[in-house]
Amino acid sequence: MSVLVTGATGFLGRRLVRLLREDGVDVCCLVRPSSDVEPLRRTVGNDLWNGVDVRAAELSNEEACREAMTGCSVVYHVAAGLGGSTSTLFLSSVVPTRTVMRAAADANLQRFVLVSSLGVYGTSTMRAGDLLDEQSPIDPYPHLRDPYTYSKVMQERAAREVSKETGLPLVIVRPGVIIGPGRGVLSARVGLQLGPLMVRMGGTQTLPYTYVDNCASAIRQAGLADGVEGEVFNLIDDDLPTAKGLLRMCKCAGEKVTSVWVPRQLIQPMAGTYDWYHRWSRGQLPGVLTPYRTASIWKPLRYTNQKAKDRLRWQPDVSFDEAFRRSLNGVEADHLGNRGRI
Amino acid sequence: MSSRTPNLRIALIGCGQIADAHLQEIRKIDCAELVAVCDVHQDLADQAAARFGVPRADSDLSAMLAEAKPDVVHVTTPAHTHCELATRLLVSGVHVYVEKPLTVDFSEAESLLETVTRTGKSLCLGHDQLFDPIWLRCRELVDAGVIGEVSHVESVLGYPLSGQFGRQVTGNPDHWVRRLPGGLFQNTISHPLYRITEYMQDTQPRVDAHWYAAGTATFPTEMVAHLRGKTVTGSLFFSTRIQPQRISRVYGPKGGLEVDFDAQTIRVIRQSRLPGAFGKIEMPWRHWREGASNLRHNLWRFLKSDIHYFAGMRTLFELYYRSILDGSSPPIAYDEMLRVTRVMDTMFRHCRVRTGAKRLAALSGASPRLSDRKANSQSEVDDLDEVISETEQVS
Ligand SMILES: NC(=O)c1ccc[n+]([C@@H]2O[C@H](COP(=O)([O-])OP(=O)(O)OC[C@H]3O[C@@H](n4cnc5c(N)ncnc54)[C@H](OP(=O)(O)O)[C@@H]3O)[C@@H](O)[C@H]2O)c1
Ligand SMILES: NC(=O)c1ccc[n+]([C@@H]2O[C@H](COP(=O)([O-])OP(=O)(O)OC[C@H]3O[C@@H](n4cnc5c(N)ncnc54)[C@H](O)[C@@H]3O)[C@@H](O)[C@H]2O)c1
Repeated sequence: MSVLVTGATGFLGRRLVRLLREDGVDVCCLVRPSSDVEPLRRTVGNDLWNGVDVRAAELSNEEACREAMTGCSVVYHVAAGLGGSTSTLFLSSVVPTRTVMRAAADANLQRFVLVSSLGVYGTSTMRAGDLLDEQSPIDPYPHLRDPYTYSKVMQERAAREVSKETGLPLVIVRPGVIIGPGRGVLSARVGLQLGPLMVRMGGTQTLPYTYVDNCASAIRQAGLADGVEGEVFNLIDDDLPTAKGLLRMCKCAGEKVTSVWVPRQLIQPMAGTYDWYHRWSRGQLPGVLTPYRTASIWKPLRYTNQKAKDRLRWQPDVSFDEAFRRSLNGVEADHLGNRGRI
Repeated sequence: MSSRTPNLRIALIGCGQIADAHLQEIRKIDCAELVAVCDVHQDLADQAAARFGVPRADSDLSAMLAEAKPDVVHVTTPAHTHCELATRLLVSGVHVYVEKPLTVDFSEAESLLETVTRTGKSLCLGHDQLFDPIWLRCRELVDAGVIGEVSHVESVLGYPLSGQFGRQVTGNPDHWVRRLPGGLFQNTISHPLYRITEYMQDTQPRVDAHWYAAGTATFPTEMVAHLRGKTVTGSLFFSTRIQPQRISRVYGPKGGLEVDFDAQTIRVIRQSRLPGAFGKIEMPWRHWREGASNLRHNLWRFLKSDIHYFAGMRTLFELYYRSILDGSSPPIAYDEMLRVTRVMDTMFRHCRVRTGAKRLAALSGASPRLSDRKANSQSEVDDLDEVISETEQVS
């Protein structure tokens, strides 16, 4: 069996390729002409590298995508922009998704796995303590969120549109914040990182995290498990910590974290004041902290991964404690530092 | 502007990075009403419309023009599309604001301005930093005679390629920036260059320019240029190896002014009035007082919420819209547009020739320094043409 993976040179993509190879699946990696393939080769290892075919092309090149897909049955579309302006993110995530999917439909592929994000849910309208699962609504006002989340919502929307148009079977996975060696464990879900200072927002919120190897194994399953076409899966690990608990773990592990705390009750008024100033000053300070965004990101919710466990026959094998240890001790350099995305 | 000012219907084409700044600033202008945005990618047009509350988003320019009926269209697409799009828009009967650089070369610029004359519509070019508050303050000081008659202007642009945009340009040999005749510089040097040409009114100053690739780059990333007009000289330094910065120094016989666009500060460069060691005390004291004055000034501006990165852009938009409503001349003179485009052409030609001459010398086994010297000694534009034709004949 052969599959195609985009974004194979990335943090998640290269683990996915390795797991697929471990299963004996041949993998065609569609990388950019500018991609650095070395980290992928190192992750996959010499023994398994034989079944990896690396093709270089821009994802906007439909013809090249189609050619690379010849003989493949599944596409894992992992590539996406993780930072930059909204237009940059749309150009690296939304627009290429349409091209890659059209190519996949033309090449008659059996399944298209889209790596989306847990951030796409409209959590601002949910109540504290609510359960977030695959039935929860998608954010109705994604343009009010941060540029990355907006691009992921629209990437999913584009994927659904093309799937409907072409009949290409689509499976969507929505990982939480992916942690792992080189990425660290403190993300925007804990609070705002202002230089060396972590401003912890609230603290009782459970952090929807997933360890990179656990996440990659669920994604592999999304391409291989029977009868999951048209389904959506939230990918998060078991035994997740709270923001406060995680900071405590960091400090116990000897990490130097300087943090200040903003109580949950103050978050909304603070965001409201900042937003008011942003508007009053006609944008003298950027409109990054809005009540809508804060209500979406720092709300204490409950999470479940039951559907992924049941339908994908998946288990997050690496426990959170182990994931934490590996993430802190990992040496793998990564350009995103500890700003893990969700 | 008063609420009785008639509204201008504004549309924009090219919803990329700089479009955000345009849409944000247009929204602040009372007489402007944003009616539509357009991009070859509908997704891009949609995101801009959603974020800036624009009622219409198109991927087809004709549909946008027919339905939204704009009075003015801002062209914020890549440089190689400017001439064709702006021409099409002028012919369709709208006024056009086009981002810098005006076009990819002088002949395109000339043809575009002919279209302006033919259609009777007006054109504005995005030389927005001429209207940046700090540059306006510098101009006031120059006009007040603080440094005397301007004799030299120096512009520095630090443009590391480590950011998102830089990574896209570096990583993709097919990126539109890489395909421009002047490459990276065509997309970036307008701002530092027009800060020089503002004080150097010559149509064709002498140009001596050089570019090269730094480190592992596979395309030219650094540029040094010297410009010589009748009474004013200029130097431009562009580097991807220094921190991001936009600095100009304007010199005259009585001293100089250092304008830092990012810090929004001005420093006077002047000799000490005190002799010997006393001067070493006086100068830091003067710098300290200047620092305090800049701090006071910026603090006051902050309190008035008057510190905006794209303030110059908004002022330019306002002046342009007002010129349309009044029927007066647009804020950037057409001659100025042509002049800057011509100087850019000459700079790139010069750089290409020097690189070509080096390559040629290397190929023929001659010392590259020889051919370098040839190009150096013939810094006059006309003389340079000889080198160009020689190079072209041989290659
Ligand atoms: N990290 C998280 O916390 C998180 C959470 C939820 C979902 N996700 C999703 O997981 C996926 C992978 O994330 P990651 O953490 O592995 O990110 P990453 O390390 O930045 O990898 C991104 C990959 O996508 C490729 N890519 C980016 N823009 C591209 C473009 N325009 N054309 C072609 N390829 C492009 C990159 O190629 P180059 O090597 O050439 O740069 C790289 O291989 C993304 O879809 C992301 O949205 C991530
Ligand atoms: N004034 C400034 O400070 C400033 C800053 C950055 C860029 N710019 C200038 O703005 C222009 C655009 O630069 P950018 O960085 O925003 O580029 P970009 O690549 O981010 O955006 C360009 C957009 O135009 C769209 N486009 C391309 N061709 C088109 C066409 N024919 N019709 C419709 N849409 C089309 C693309 O899809 C893209 O969304 C350039 O000329 C650049 O030099 C000016």
